[in-house]
Amino acid sequence: MFLPTLLVLIFSPFGVLTSKPDKFTEELFIKPLYSDQLYVHFHFATKWDTNPEQETFRHTHIFPRALGEIVERYNVQELHVSLTGGLWRYETWGYPILDAAPGAEVWAWFKDTTEDVDQNWKLLASSLSGLLCASLNFIDKANSIRPEYTFKPKGVFSGSNLNSSFVRYSSLPREIVCTENLTPWKKLLPCESKSGLASLLNSGYIHNTRYHSVAIHMRPVCRDSSCEFVSLELQQTVSLVYDYLILGTKNWSFRKLFGQGLMGRCPLAETSTIYIDTTSNTSVPFQLTPSPDDYVTSIRGGHVNTFAKYVVRPYAMSLNANFLGKESVLLNAPPSLHANQYITGYGQERGGIVTKIYNNHWSHLDVVVLQNIPWYVPIYLHTLKIEVNGLEAEPLKIRYIPGRQRERPYHLELLLKLPARSVTSVSVDFDYVFLKWQEYPPDANHGFYIGSAIISANLPLARNFTGLPQDGSTIADSFNASRSGYLVQVRTENMVITLPTPDFSMPYNVICLACTVVALAFGPLHNITTKRLVLTVKDNEKLIVKIKNKIVKVLTDRRGGEEKQSVQ
Amino acid sequence: MAHGKTEKCEQDCYKGGTVLFMYLTGLGIRYWLMFSRYQSIIANHIEISTPLNSWKRVSEGLCLQSKGINPYEGDLLHEAPITILFYKVLTQWWKLDIKTIFLAFDAGTAVVLYFVAKKYMFHLFIEQEENKKQYALNSKEFLLSGSDFVNSPVFVASAFLFNPYTIFNCVGQSTVVFHNFFIALFLFCMLSGSVILSVLSLAICTMMSFYPIVLIIPLFLYSNGIYKSKFRAILTPILFIATLAAFITISIGLSNGTAFMKNVYGFILTVPDLQPNIGLFWYFFTEMFDHFRDLFISSFQINATVLYLIPLSVKFRKDPFLLTFAILCLISVFKSYPCLGDVGFVLSLLPCFIHLFNYSQQGFLVGVIFLITTALGPILWHLWIYSNSANANFYFGVTLAFAIAQIFLVTDILFAYLKREFCLNHGKERKIDGKDALLILE
Repeated sequence: MFLPTLLVLIFSPFGVLTSKPDKFTEELFIKPLYSDQLYVHFHFATKWDTNPEQETFRHTHIFPRALGEIVERYNVQELHVSLTGGLWRYETWGYPILDAAPGAEVWAWFKDTTEDVDQNWKLLASSLSGLLCASLNFIDKANSIRPEYTFKPKGVFSGSNLNSSFVRYSSLPREIVCTENLTPWKKLLPCESKSGLASLLNSGYIHNTRYHSVAIHMRPVCRDSSCEFVSLELQQTVSLVYDYLILGTKNWSFRKLFGQGLMGRCPLAETSTIYIDTTSNTSVPFQLTPSPDDYVTSIRGGHVNTFAKYVVRPYAMSLNANFLGKESVLLNAPPSLHANQYITGYGQERGGIVTKIYNNHWSHLDVVVLQNIPWYVPIYLHTLKIEVNGLEAEPLKIRYIPGRQRERPYHLELLLKLPARSVTSVSVDFDYVFLKWQEYPPDANHGFYIGSAIISANLPLARNFTGLPQDGSTIADSFNASRSGYLVQVRTENMVITLPTPDFSMPYNVICLACTVVALAFGPLHNITTKRLVLTVKDNEKLIVKIKNKIVKVLTDRRGGEEKQSVQ
Repeated sequence: MAHGKTEKCEQDCYKGGTVLFMYLTGLGIRYWLMFSRYQSIIANHIEISTPLNSWKRVSEGLCLQSKGINPYEGDLLHEAPITILFYKVLTQWWKLDIKTIFLAFDAGTAVVLYFVAKKYMFHLFIEQEENKKQYALNSKEFLLSGSDFVNSPVFVASAFLFNPYTIFNCVGQSTVVFHNFFIALFLFCMLSGSVILSVLSLAICTMMSFYPIVLIIPLFLYSNGIYKSKFRAILTPILFIATLAAFITISIGLSNGTAFMKNVYGFILTVPDLQPNIGLFWYFFTEMFDHFRDLFISSFQINATVLYLIPLSVKFRKDPFLLTFAILCLISVFKSYPCLGDVGFVLSLLPCFIHLFNYSQQGFLVGVIFLITTALGPILWHLWIYSNSANANFYFGVTLAFAIAQIFLVTDILFAYLKREFCLNHGKERKIDGKDALLILE
């Protein structure tokens, strides 16, 4: 009786292991960017062959249970979170593997059985805030939108009604990303930061970069090409852009970048690989030591890239790159599509938001522009102006949901056709809003943030493109992955506006003064309406005489009284 | 009497040609400013355009509507659906030029006001003739002369046509222009005794800005005087409520729901937008502690609507037009989003009370405060918002002074009315038993 129970207890974990196979891969991708930067991207992918519809996350092996429980409780179909410091410079750096807006950005699809999506979204954001130690708890209905065209599900979607009422997007542009977000993020990895590539993530070094972005992307994917079954995929990534000027040299090594060498692979990882993009070696040659295990050539969308490949073994290794030869003058070939955003106007009364979209491609591009404008920046749709190369144009489609103060942001989504080699500017006017004094943040004159606009397009060419294909979950999947289009979602700069402030020290004075004015009306009107006019004898006596008379009167009264008493 | 009046007018009265010339000049000034580069500067001033009446928001609403978006989904539009339909008909169906519409309505207001004053002067004349025998013997010099009766309408029209506040209001394309037109129409219909038309125009005004709802009391008093029967007079408020209900039903039909109630009347009553204006609400509720907000909003709104209504109605029941003027004055001081157009309209009614001017004492003070605050307001606004060298307190101070000036004006006129009544009934001698006496409220 006792023995079988014990046996079950002992063997049940193995049972879990065999019945729920999951796969973890870790990859490091390094690419020298145009001019003076180095792009370093850590990519950790977990693929778990389980049905996300039925999984309760009671037992997990490699998949982080903490995240799984949140996903299960709030009925999440797909989840994308990124915490970013710095701005990705599309114009000179090309496209990143995963786009992320400065600050915090979250978007999620909920299962179509969800009843109260808004409530679930708020709770999801609060739970994520606890999971990642970020201020995501400030996400609520007042700063979330339901993008119609921009955020389609990245994974498989089994539900019949795919509509925007199940998607939510929000960004917190003011969020500052630092060590306290990285540490809990590392705890979601199977080897945490004890071994494997994640051990390189030394916060003292990686927050010293031009751009750093920590992200979690979870989605259901097809288990195989027939797509009969669905698996759950989790991508955890860290993107860093080092600046040679900050490093002090163009020769980089693990030690310079991360402060330490690599102490072997994560034992739980199926593969552990390092890829270094050597395509630019023809113009800016550098020598890698130790020499790579292999070279991979990838032909994708008409562009050839070569990668040096290192397979991480279970012992310590380091990597050096020595810059060879003279500085050569580089010509920047900007990517097909990039964009800027800025504020126009002066003073604190009226302003405008301008988004400039550059199409450097030789044919036209169809793009979707998404703007999530906070409620304290009320925009006027009738001032929306789209200019292509200085000539006014009409959008193909427009989706606009006007905001409400303290309740809902302004949601503007535009479908535009950008002609070949053109600059398109989208401008809209707004008013500066006057808030209640307790609604201003502690440093009121620091300003209020407006999140970045997102410009999505399916590029026909893969020039400067490093992103993963939709069906891929690792960097290795992106090699030789030619597709009909390459989805990019360009994020623009954040903007700051300084709203006019009241005098925060004045509440009592203001209340007193305004009430005095009201009383100034009340007094005379009360007199006029309740009293009648009468004639009285004019009193020409001076004040002193009056007082004297009064005293005399009091005295005589008293004397009179005494006399009366004596008489009695 | 009529013969004597015309005879005297040969010397003192304005001729028709002069009046026409005055109208043309007033319109000319508006036309010139309207098509000059100053138009947008004037329209952008917060003293002219408040969230409630700016034409920019109306065009936003019309634009949203043309794109199939319910304009009341957002919170930029605070015009009633019925007025939005009115603007839509004018601008999109009839394709009229916006600026011409504003000019036409302002000219219309000036004409209607002329006749309002004429009617009121006629009322005063009748009343004076009727009561002449009851007045004190030596009060003849307080009576209005023929030229006063004839000139006062001209003064009213000119006070409207050449008042910078109303000029800016028209040039700045604030929808108060339409509001003023309907208020003027209401006054005219009320004075000419046409109850149904006045109820209709008052209902339109109430739909536009809610506060005129209190003007039903003077209208009731008037109809009481006309019908000489309490029962028929009570029909007036009932008719008004019915008209209002009909308008609201139409509005619900037009906007497919009651969302507009929150956006228009909820907005007026709860003051969620704290953009500065010439009123008292903005800074008070910017600086208000959150747990007192509801208390003070309700007390300020009561102050603006019903607080003075009953005492004033009781006291001035004999002159409902003066009562209307006082109520309009108090509304323009205490409403949640006042603008210069409201003040200008009230000021242009002032020459109707030409007979009270001799008794008012604070005209100079009020005039000086008006001049100074009108000049200082935009300057301090610029210093605060554009130069960052002043702060909100400066502008707040100016708006306080402006409100005080208006309050002094209305209390002064009301007090003057009481004094004139006293003098008419008791003569000009202010003596008791041969001693000098003072006239005081007791």
